Amino acid sequence: MRQQPIYQIPRKGLTVWRLYGLFSTLLVLIITGIICFLTYKFEGPSLIYLIVALIVLLVLIGSIWIPKIRWNHWRYEVREHEIEIQNGLFIVKRTLIPMVRVQHVDTAQGPILKKYDLSNISISTAATTHIIPMLITEDADRLRSRISELARVAEDDV
Amino acid sequence: MSNEKFKLHPISAVINFVKGLKDLIIPFLIIFVTNGFNFNIDVRQDGFWIEIIPTLIVVVIAFLYLFSGIIKWWTFVYWFEDNELRVKYGLFVKKKRFIPFDRIQGLNYKEGIFHRIFGLVQVMVETAGSTNGRPEAELTAITKDAAQRIEKETQRAKQSLDVLTNVEQLHDSSDELLQSERTTSRVVRKMTPKDLVILATTSNGIGVVLTGLVAVLSQFAEFIPYELIYEEIAGFIKFGFAVVALAVFVVFLFAWIISVLITFINYYDFTIIEENERLIVSRGLLEKKRVTIPLNRVQAIKIVENPLRQLFGYATIVVESASGGFGEKEKKITLIPLIPKKKMNGPLQELFPQFEWSPILSKPPKRAKPFFYRIDFIWLVPIVGLCTYFFYPFGLLSILLIIPTILLGIWQYRTAGYSIKRNQLTIVYRIISRVTFVVEKKRIQALERRQSYFQNRRQIASIEATVMSGLAGASAKAPNLNVKDVDTVMDWFDRSKEGIEEGIEQQE
Repeated sequence: MRQQPIYQIPRKGLTVWRLYGLFSTLLVLIITGIICFLTYKFEGPSLIYLIVALIVLLVLIGSIWIPKIRWNHWRYEVREHEIEIQNGLFIVKRTLIPMVRVQHVDTAQGPILKKYDLSNISISTAATTHIIPMLITEDADRLRSRISELARVAEDDV
Repeated sequence: MSNEKFKLHPISAVINFVKGLKDLIIPFLIIFVTNGFNFNIDVRQDGFWIEIIPTLIVVVIAFLYLFSGIIKWWTFVYWFEDNELRVKYGLFVKKKRFIPFDRIQGLNYKEGIFHRIFGLVQVMVETAGSTNGRPEAELTAITKDAAQRIEKETQRAKQSLDVLTNVEQLHDSSDELLQSERTTSRVVRKMTPKDLVILATTSNGIGVVLTGLVAVLSQFAEFIPYELIYEEIAGFIKFGFAVVALAVFVVFLFAWIISVLITFINYYDFTIIEENERLIVSRGLLEKKRVTIPLNRVQAIKIVENPLRQLFGYATIVVESASGGFGEKEKKITLIPLIPKKKMNGPLQELFPQFEWSPILSKPPKRAKPFFYRIDFIWLVPIVGLCTYFFYPFGLLSILLIIPTILLGIWQYRTAGYSIKRNQLTIVYRIISRVTFVVEKKRIQALERRQSYFQNRRQIASIEATVMSGLAGASAKAPNLNVKDVDTVMDWFDRSKEGIEEGIEQQE
């Protein structure tokens, strides 16, 4: 059995994902609120209320549980010759990217991530882009320069 | 080197214009249809000017295209200087592009109808950088002599460069190309008319033509007197089964002939030539195309057999190339449209000697079988549900969909497999057509192991390899293999694991 990659993403990442979940729940609440209002005003079938309630409940549960599952699955490891990433919700994907194939590495940070002092790293090859999300900014910067250094040194001997 | 500047053939202004007009056809049609075909030509009538506005806009745009076509031709010059192909065009915004000859991966030619009349050719200059689907430079129409001149100039520049610089300075993508610069060309395969007929017959062209017919008929639905036809058909059926069968046969024959025609137009005189580590593919009846694929830009090779072709033992060979082709859609280049499977290994072995062409496959385990069709129930259930709900008694028949789904799943299970041999990964899978995906380790950009909760419980996983091909890349997935096998592939790809498990084989 192949070992899982070692590193997990920080606990703060889970909090941010939950925050994102909260935002999307709020958005859904607003939309469903409008729907309910319209149904009430135009005397639509009461079945709509039931469906709406169900959707809201699902989204609420989803935004609490899904980040947790995702966070549990997330693992990454940067070694001398390759980067290994594990992620996924229902299907756990484990990706292996050889250092030689890495073309460039970026870090990105939105306003919410900035508040929590987190950054996303994205790693691009000629064909694919891979993201390691929610790393502490300092770690992310260090990792980025390490990957770019390793990618430069890595030689194509195959 | 002379610094003589060359212009394009004047006809390129017309070609630019016509190309622009092609984009206008759809808006023009929309305007026509929305106006309901009844244009009033009477200027004095009410609303004449309002109705004419859309048409006017289109006409103005057409004129703009005409002018821009002329201006582009007028200002366009190219010349050779300092081992570079230089191109300059533009009236207000002047664009210049200098392409060093040693960066040129190949020249692709295209001859449309206009070109054929005047003995011209459209040249597209491909470089390693032009992966975004557009050629680095495009010469809309030049004479064949001029095209040959560019080719010669490129060759000469490369040869003199070969003498000047040391080979070590050039990385692997260009040194192979330079070493064998002396021309040795040989025909790899030519398609005979008989091949083309088989190609057309076994392609999905007939289906496409039939759906096309239906689409056209449905477009003109209002004009067709269905009731009349219906009565006719009712009378028709009285004549018996034979007549109906004949009618169906005629429709199929018609579709088949069209499909053969299309195939001939596209693939007539299909020839592959190998020359200086490059493949030159030329084809076409009305519009001739010639594509150059440097062999070292080939990322992966796919052998595709659709069910019909598999039945008769034929295959199509497609290459995923980092460059080459015309535009974004044709990043996948059909190397050989049709070849008997038995004869396939010969030419493949010659072109790509680094690969093993009939490897022994490791199959998915027996317990993986249900995974090939189980997931399909997820989309099948709502379809059956909806059909049953809306068309109650007959909708239940949609349950029968389950049978072909399961059969297809079993077929996919029987097809799937993988093989590792030294630096070569072979993945065989089926969606509907059987695909054999062959790739070298150094061409794989990323390798992914996928496993759902249920797969984990039964010790099964899938593996997907991605290679570079155009912008997005191309990938192949070997589904539902034994977890151990998947981990073997991962370890094979993992360089830090080398020398532990697969190391001995790697060193060879």
